[in-house]
Amino acid sequence: MTLPEGPLGAELRVTGVRLPAAHAFRLNEMGIRLGTVAHVTQHAAFGGRVIAVAGSRYALDGATAALIDVEPVQRRA
Amino acid sequence: MSSCHGTASAPVPGRSTTSVPAKLRVLLVGGPNVGKSTLFNALTGARQRTTNAPGTTVELATGTWRTAADGTADSADSTAHSVTERAIVDLPGSYSLLARSSDEQVTADAVRELARSVREVSGRPGVVVVVLDATTLARSLYLLAQVAETGVPIVVALTMLDLAATATDSPTAGVESATLVAALAASLGVPVVPVDSRNRAAGGLRALARSVDAVAEHPRRVTGIVPLASVPDLAQELARAEMLFAWVEMVAEQVTACCAPSLPVTAHGGAPATSGRPASGSMPGVLRRPLRRTFSDRVDAVLLNPWAGTPVFLAVVWLLFEFTTKFAAPLQAFIGHLVNGPLASGVTWLLGLLGLANGWVQGLLVDGLLVGVGTVLTFLPVMAVMFAALGVLEDSGYLARAAFLADRAMRSLGLDGRALLPLIVGFGCNLPALAATRTLPHARQRLLTGLLIPLTSCSARLTVYVLLAGAFFPQYAGTVIFSMYLASVLLVLCGGLLLRRTVFRDVHAEPLILVLPPYQRPHLRTLGLSVRMRVGAFATGAGKIIVGTMLVVWVLMALPATGQHAVGDVPVADSLYGRAASGIAPVLAPAGFGNDHASAALITGFVAKEVVVGSFAQSYAVAEPGGSVRPGSLGEELRASFDESSGGHGGAAALAFMVFVLAYTPCVAALAEQRRLFGWRPTASALAAQLAGAWVLAVLVFQVGSRL
Repeated sequence: MTLPEGPLGAELRVTGVRLPAAHAFRLNEMGIRLGTVAHVTQHAAFGGRVIAVAGSRYALDGATAALIDVEPVQRRA
Repeated sequence: MSSCHGTASAPVPGRSTTSVPAKLRVLLVGGPNVGKSTLFNALTGARQRTTNAPGTTVELATGTWRTAADGTADSADSTAHSVTERAIVDLPGSYSLLARSSDEQVTADAVRELARSVREVSGRPGVVVVVLDATTLARSLYLLAQVAETGVPIVVALTMLDLAATATDSPTAGVESATLVAALAASLGVPVVPVDSRNRAAGGLRALARSVDAVAEHPRRVTGIVPLASVPDLAQELARAEMLFAWVEMVAEQVTACCAPSLPVTAHGGAPATSGRPASGSMPGVLRRPLRRTFSDRVDAVLLNPWAGTPVFLAVVWLLFEFTTKFAAPLQAFIGHLVNGPLASGVTWLLGLLGLANGWVQGLLVDGLLVGVGTVLTFLPVMAVMFAALGVLEDSGYLARAAFLADRAMRSLGLDGRALLPLIVGFGCNLPALAATRTLPHARQRLLTGLLIPLTSCSARLTVYVLLAGAFFPQYAGTVIFSMYLASVLLVLCGGLLLRRTVFRDVHAEPLILVLPPYQRPHLRTLGLSVRMRVGAFATGAGKIIVGTMLVVWVLMALPATGQHAVGDVPVADSLYGRAASGIAPVLAPAGFGNDHASAALITGFVAKEVVVGSFAQSYAVAEPGGSVRPGSLGEELRASFDESSGGHGGAAALAFMVFVLAYTPCVAALAEQRRLFGWRPTASALAAQLAGAWVLAVLVFQVGSRL
């Protein structure tokens, strides 16, 4: 699923980034990489999302968020 | 690699800074919002100034960092012979040395230039202080690794430790500062100095000075990073980035393991990477804590709410300009009265003693120079309040939210939310706003934003609104002024849409990825220093133009175009200035303000909007027999002449005049900056479009308004 499909508060792992290479690289440099675990902390207007990654809050516009693939993190019992 | 509890964190001992003879160059490097500028202010105090990076419009703060020679005390009260001075530069915030904007390029170039000096010059070319945010170490460590690869001497300044102690989901949450510092220093192998810039006495600034001087003499390498012999090309840099990501993970794992061995350290998730190899960059998963809503999260739930966010944003902007008018107006009035009253009388009295009264010298000094200086001085409170308000928005963390909220609106113009920042700055002054377009990643986006900025109503225009709204709509002055700002926003949107559908069809929005800093209480001292620096830059930069313009205006008014008049004793209608204004007035007649005073004010307003009010005052003063500037009467004079030129629809004419002032060229300085950034052709085209657009809008407003 894509990031905007993640419910508020969900714990998600980044599994793919379909942004152009240069933008994907900047995302990596800023700390959002494949395997990164993020929490959705805010649903903003027009599909925008705020995610929490390692204590930081990142705001992504709706179009960008829709190009980030995620999967729910399975918590061990 | 050192052990977790190694001693590498301690400042390097064993040397006296008195042995440091020359002024050391220190570069402050760090990501946005890591506390770099606050640290810079704490280190330099008042000994700082802003300059543009050579060949660019990227603003740099430079200053002198002084300490007592033994490093034990800050220098404010030190004697001159025992002081060590360092030249310090606050470089633009950057996530990476692989620059994606002009600002980041300036940072990358400065670090690489220093690295070149280190390789080629003997002695102590300089030290880079890399500022790391303790709450977001992973992001900060990547930049540190890149800087370390250049081979420059490095000291790490660790900030935000107070936030790290109370953060709820940061990997360093709840970790003792000393433990974190020791762990980092052990992993990095370079001095790590905890700093609290808000505490100048015991905030670690002296330790930072000692470490910087020591590292300048005996540089150390960051553990695990091999300096490169030469500047790699882009492909090499991209390839090395993966190694740096891995290094970041390793350091972060070591630090978190040292700091919180009892907390669950989560193995990397192992999600397959698109390249087919195991994912790197799993640092965020190194230490995973369950999400706990922070104070900022709770505030953002309201301020970024899809329904509440935009109204709150509009309310904040409205408050911003209420503050500007309410707080600045009394000060402006006081300064105006002081300059035009006692000061003008004093100068006149002094000239009388010297036998120079009632001549062209008095006219030049009192009606030219003093009026110009008075105009600059009365404008300072407005600028100070505006810069302070923008500073509060920025320091509190709200400005980043505003950019996020406005992203959608900007996107419709082909821009992303980042374009809002220079556009908001434009409401303070168009000049720094034009410079701020350099942060946008693509030239076409910069050009588009740069062409829209003159449509943002800078605070210089505010003085015109205040004057006319007060004179014509005293009961609704605040509402009228607010409407002008709404009109400005509309102009930006309509202008942007028009450009996007014509000459900017190729412009596409960049993805918006913004780091939202935690909400913080603005630091008053830092804010005060920033306001002082910016107001000073305005006074010395724009002030010269304004005073010069007023002198030129006076000379034009003093020189006769026709008739037998002595220099300095010319009726406005017979002066060069009056002739030029009279020639333009008929063109403005359809807008209701086709009078000499208005056209003359618009001519000088072309040079700088700050001068419009002064020009009105000056032209009315000269127009009256034996007149001098009488602040109390300016409104009456304006109403009389606007009523006359509009056939009794003075209010509509005043509104049309304000719209014209809003839409036409902001000032010569902004034009010059546009030309420097974008070249003559776009600048000349924009100038023609602005003049034509302003005329059409003003005529429209007057023709509709006069019929209501």
